[in-house]
Amino acid sequence: MKNEQISAGHAAFLRREKKNAAVIRAARAGVLLLLLGIWELAAATEIVDPFIISSPSRVAATVAELWKNGSLLYHVGTTLWETLAGFAIAVSLGSLIALTLWWSERARKIFEPYIVVINSLPKIALGPVIIVWFGSGSAAIVFMTVLVGIIVAVMNMLGGFLATDKNKITLLRSMGASKLQILTKLVIPSALPQFIGMLKVCVGMAWIGSIMGEYIASKAGLGYLIVYGGQVFRLDLVMAATLILCVLAAGMYALVALAEKLLIRSPK
Amino acid sequence: MNETPDTPVLSFENVYYAYHTKGGETLAVRSLDFSLREGEFMAVIGPSGCGKTTVLSLAAGLLSPFAGEIAVRGRPVRESAGKFGYMLQKDELFPWRTIRKNIVLPLEVGKKNTEANREKALSLAKKYGLGDFLSYYPDQLSGGMRQRAALIRTLAPDPEILLLDEPFSALDYQTRLTVCNDVYGIIRGEKKTALLVTHDISEAISLADRILVLSRRPATAVALHEIGFEAMTPLERRESPCFSAWFEKLWKELNI
Ligand SMILES: Nc1ncnc2c1ncn2[C@@H]1O[C@H](COP(=O)(O)OP(=O)(O)O)[C@@H](O)[C@H]1O
Ligand SMILES: [Mg+2]
Repeated sequence: MKNEQISAGHAAFLRREKKNAAVIRAARAGVLLLLLGIWELAAATEIVDPFIISSPSRVAATVAELWKNGSLLYHVGTTLWETLAGFAIAVSLGSLIALTLWWSERARKIFEPYIVVINSLPKIALGPVIIVWFGSGSAAIVFMTVLVGIIVAVMNMLGGFLATDKNKITLLRSMGASKLQILTKLVIPSALPQFIGMLKVCVGMAWIGSIMGEYIASKAGLGYLIVYGGQVFRLDLVMAATLILCVLAAGMYALVALAEKLLIRSPK
Repeated sequence: MNETPDTPVLSFENVYYAYHTKGGETLAVRSLDFSLREGEFMAVIGPSGCGKTTVLSLAAGLLSPFAGEIAVRGRPVRESAGKFGYMLQKDELFPWRTIRKNIVLPLEVGKKNTEANREKALSLAKKYGLGDFLSYYPDQLSGGMRQRAALIRTLAPDPEILLLDEPFSALDYQTRLTVCNDVYGIIRGEKKTALLVTHDISEAISLADRILVLSRRPATAVALHEIGFEAMTPLERRESPCFSAWFEKLWKELNI
């Protein structure tokens, strides 16, 4: 319901809100600039050895150099592809498994202890096994990414499915709904917010998985650059790759947040 | 049993039901007998936790009695899918569906989602004042309007028997009186047979033709009364001199 005429009080309130938001945005940018400034200054005055901490200008130069020799897109592309593939598989397979476990209470009870154990297992322990099975290419890294994300996806979605309002299930049953109808008309749509929440968690998990995978076995990618840079003491390279990683992870999170805005109607 | 003009719409004969949990067995309904006549509005009252919701779930075929018979027009309740319209305490409208989509939900579920049925359901909504709100989402409506939408949803598949489980208890007092009046008007207007369970004595008196009084758990019939207010609306009944006499009588029976 729109109010055509906004009262003076409300207009003032909106102005205040707008101003607050602008202040917060400016402060956020300020914090970033401040940190970069301190970093640059510390390196320029050699309070801390720039060889160890690098500096924003050296990082920028490194990125420019990677861009010029054509390897930037190659490494970013490799990691991005591995992360997205692992993310997509973990999310879809995880949701499917959660659906199955929702469907059958018996399956849920049988697999519960396995899920708990796999969840608490540090996936990196499987590194050597993965290398033996998949070699040291992208397949191993995608597998690692899936491994890190899938249990989180399963547990989140199962929690969401099981939290479906009992009264609404009763209502559908009284209409003569089949289990499949209860699933499609109620359980899945009501778990949509949970699904978005799970996507947000899994974005983080996917980056953990792919970078961890690249640490163990890789010939390309941002994780590879970080490990390589560390081994040859090129901290500029390590910092550059890390910063690019920050930007990519933030971008992917922003996409999920956008999907949330498009998919979920905010209450009026 | 074959259907004769006297066959009740719904009948309970010596019905028992018990819940089984790890903690033990809870007998919720014991030797319950009653029957519902064509077109009547029956209220079942009983103290909280006595087994009223269980009685409705049994009637709707969502639970099966471990002893006794439940029949719809003389036939086992299992064969009666789609004959009931169930209305719960809260409206239970799906928040991601508009009012229009909520109202046609039972049609989708019952494979009756034809153009004609949808039109009928929507014209019912318009007839009872929801016409302007069809494209709204439930959270944009007041509690009373939502409950009205829930009733229209219940009526959409044209059920033979309405089962109402304390449908007003989640509303505030003012709203409850008007929604109660509304719902009465709609149910009478559509000539439906209705079974209402409630712990609220005045609600039962203001709506029902007959009132069945249940004991504490396990629920069994204590008394059955013809109220005799016939054509009076709930608000008129509340102002009638007989109202308080009925209230006192039922109050005593409930607290035996
Ligand atoms: N699913 C269930 N499992 C075990 N006990 C139940 C269950 N549902 C209800 N009960 C018990 O059965 C009794 C009757 O419940 P109910 O029919 O919901 O009562 P009412 O609707 O009259 O308040 C209560 O004592 C309640 O604790
Ligand atoms: Mg109840």
